[in-house]
Amino acid sequence: MRAYGKFTAMAAVAVIASVSLLGCDNELGKKEYLVTANKPNNLHLIDTETHEVAKTFLIPGDGAPGTVSVSPDGQVAYVITNHMESLVGINLDSGEEVFRADASYDNIRSKHMFAMTVSRDGKEIYSFQTPVRILPGEYQVLDTQIAVYKTDAGLDAKPVRVFPAPRQISVLAPSVDGKTIYGLGPSIFGFNAKTGEIESSHPLREWGRPDYGVPDILAAWPTFEVSNILTAPYFVPRTDKAPDAPDAMKTGLVSLNLKTGEVTTEDFENTSVLIFSTVQSPINPNEAYGVYTQLTKIDQKAHVVSNRIDMDHTFYAINVSHDGKTLYMGGTMDDVVAYDAATLEPKWAVKLPGGGDQGLASLRVVRR
Amino acid sequence: MKLGAGACWKIAVLGLTAGWLTTPEAGTAQELDPRNILEERCSSCHTPRAGGGLERISDNRKTPEGWEMTIVRMGIWHGVEVPEDELAVLVRHLSNTQGLAPAETAGQRFILERQPNVVENIPNAELNVMCARCHSFARVALQRQDEDEWRKQSHAHLGQYPTTEYQSLGRDRDWWGIARDKMPKLLGEMFPLKTDTWDDWRKSAKADISGSWRVHGERPGVGRYVGSAEITATDWDEYEVTYALRYANGSEVTGQGAAIVYTGFEWRGSATLGDEEVREVFALSEDGNSLSGRWFLANADEVGAHFNAVRVREGASTIIAVEPQMLRAGESTNITIHGFGLKGNVSLGDGVTISEFVTADANSITVVATAATDIEGGNRSVSIGSTIATDLFSVYSQIDRLVVEPPFAIARVGGGTTPAVVAQFTAVAYLNGPDGEAGTNDDVRLGSVPAEWSIENFSEEAEQMEDAKYVGTIDQNGTFMPAGAGPNPERKYKTNNAGRVTVKANAANGESQIAGDAEMVVTVQRWNSPPIL
Repeated sequence: MRAYGKFTAMAAVAVIASVSLLGCDNELGKKEYLVTANKPNNLHLIDTETHEVAKTFLIPGDGAPGTVSVSPDGQVAYVITNHMESLVGINLDSGEEVFRADASYDNIRSKHMFAMTVSRDGKEIYSFQTPVRILPGEYQVLDTQIAVYKTDAGLDAKPVRVFPAPRQISVLAPSVDGKTIYGLGPSIFGFNAKTGEIESSHPLREWGRPDYGVPDILAAWPTFEVSNILTAPYFVPRTDKAPDAPDAMKTGLVSLNLKTGEVTTEDFENTSVLIFSTVQSPINPNEAYGVYTQLTKIDQKAHVVSNRIDMDHTFYAINVSHDGKTLYMGGTMDDVVAYDAATLEPKWAVKLPGGGDQGLASLRVVRR
Repeated sequence: MKLGAGACWKIAVLGLTAGWLTTPEAGTAQELDPRNILEERCSSCHTPRAGGGLERISDNRKTPEGWEMTIVRMGIWHGVEVPEDELAVLVRHLSNTQGLAPAETAGQRFILERQPNVVENIPNAELNVMCARCHSFARVALQRQDEDEWRKQSHAHLGQYPTTEYQSLGRDRDWWGIARDKMPKLLGEMFPLKTDTWDDWRKSAKADISGSWRVHGERPGVGRYVGSAEITATDWDEYEVTYALRYANGSEVTGQGAAIVYTGFEWRGSATLGDEEVREVFALSEDGNSLSGRWFLANADEVGAHFNAVRVREGASTIIAVEPQMLRAGESTNITIHGFGLKGNVSLGDGVTISEFVTADANSITVVATAATDIEGGNRSVSIGSTIATDLFSVYSQIDRLVVEPPFAIARVGGGTTPAVVAQFTAVAYLNGPDGEAGTNDDVRLGSVPAEWSIENFSEEAEQMEDAKYVGTIDQNGTFMPAGAGPNPERKYKTNNAGRVTVKANAANGESQIAGDAEMVVTVQRWNSPPIL
């Protein structure tokens, strides 16, 4: 593990800045950072006060980096990489590779398939996997599963528990009490974090809403860490409307409250733009934000779009500051930008070192 | 082995051009026994069966392109090394022994011919979403296997492309449940391994293609052509050919090429026509007397021409083309009837007067013809002696409508390692026929006409994004050349030069003008280009 030479100086500047500003954003004396990644296989720590990339580390092996989950103490970022076959933990101070779990073994080829999260206590990692047995002359698709690893298992980590999980899960998120791991897929499944038993299931694909078809939910951005509410946009046809009617397609938000387990699905507009990812405001329970080529502010009480602006270009990933005042956006190209959550005016922007595309890399907000 | 799909299809194209479409070096392929190659390269994974054959390989029938893709895929996925000369032998052997009969490829030949902008007519909405979301349905319909083998393919699909069940139109359904349980049964019924059609074709005697052929066709953007092909056998399934073609615009092109004929009817050739390198995908008719398909540029398969050839037979007579193919009321012009064995009185049908014979031989007769000023529009039977052609020549007073073909096209921005994919449009004149209604069975396709070409924004959204300004340019031959690839800093959202435009054609219609249009989407590059898309 090594940092890029030219960014070491930048990191030093960032440290000085943090000392001189004594920049603390809460009573715990921790600062807010963004953690994200770009191609080919870079991991970045962005200082939200200095608006600079504080550290950049090269993740060992092949890319491209995808889902990122950060330990509760903000020390280690776990990243799915190596064509989704490896889950790698990088110490955000030293850049040292402290954890590695390869999903494939023997004649089983398996992917860490988008959905992955660190547990609330930081001791375990949950990864949704899609194993395939490669036999001479044929493949056998095997049932999907969630593998549980100990975070202190080192560089050849093996699962300590494996439990079956329905296919097509794309996000894992732990409940606030740590007892449940939620999986967002055809339904929102609540897995017992210890036994893997499915203890709750809220249907999405077969949600049974009268006059509504099947919702299309592309949820690959785990952005729940600030508000403890996981949200994702859905797009759904109305079955009682003519295909060319203005309200023939509706856009809405599915929200999972990680404290209570409550799930809501509510429309907020006739589909007019694409939205890739959404995030819930931590200060206003009726406000959420979504991004793709537009940045959208959603009023969840009035079920309307309360503001929308065009972005310079497409962004995939959105997140929000702990004070709820700043929106962060990344994904696509090498731009990470911050906008004012109240006015949707731009605040600052950084270019990621290396210039590579962020693709599906998560944009996570951490205090450390 | 971690090669991207792009690398895969470059290898495939190499195989296509260097391996089996050209005549192999003398003595090489013939010395290789396909059974030995199967044993050496394949049987370590595909276990030999007690009754003969190899696991899975023996459970499939495919086109030559299908077999090539399978073998190349084994290299990409599993690192199997099959040298080009062995690949050529295997494709030939498997196509001949486990191929498709001519009738089994009917309706799907466009994909082998690499015809651009064909909108498929897929028999079932679920097949469309489950299969044709990623590749043509023709790729499926050109394979024959039973339910178990189709199921193994489903396993291979998701095993190799695990994000399939997460993609749009995959994540909104139990994709794997449908792919594993429902599709294999349906496909096994639609496209089973064993058919009488194949058994009969395999047993039938195959025609020798060598001889003299009369050729005609049309190259969109350039025009119609007629000519001759002299085909000589160099082996039982290999041929050499020389061409002499003359376009309606007067330009003459000669060329020569070589071809292998797979499965007794699948002509795959490479030729030089003028200064262009082309590839040929033709099918021999079951009676062995016509050869038809498409040829296209070796380095841009979307640019090509329709091709039809009829075997010149002793004592027989056929009309293959009339040039020009339409004559307007009151007009007088030279008309040439092409074919072979042409002899006897010439008629161009009711209302068309022949005033003079200009030239005449067995292959073509040129006359001066005049259409009556009050002529009723429609097809005219052309006859020379007792030889009659009913749908090669038409007369008209006014064009009823101008149809731009294709009605929907895709072009792709290019640059760097991936060249642009152009779109070629043709303006085709039609009569509405006796019922006066457009789009009914009695419509008369007069043929392609010169036109002025332009593009406009397709919609309000395209207007806002100024698509027509950025996507590229169309020339006066109806050839659209897309703009360069990559984010365009000049455009809103820095988006690339993609867009949606209306392609407009304006043609002369007597003293006035007639217009037609088509839709075109200009989109991003495709990063692979397998032999069967």
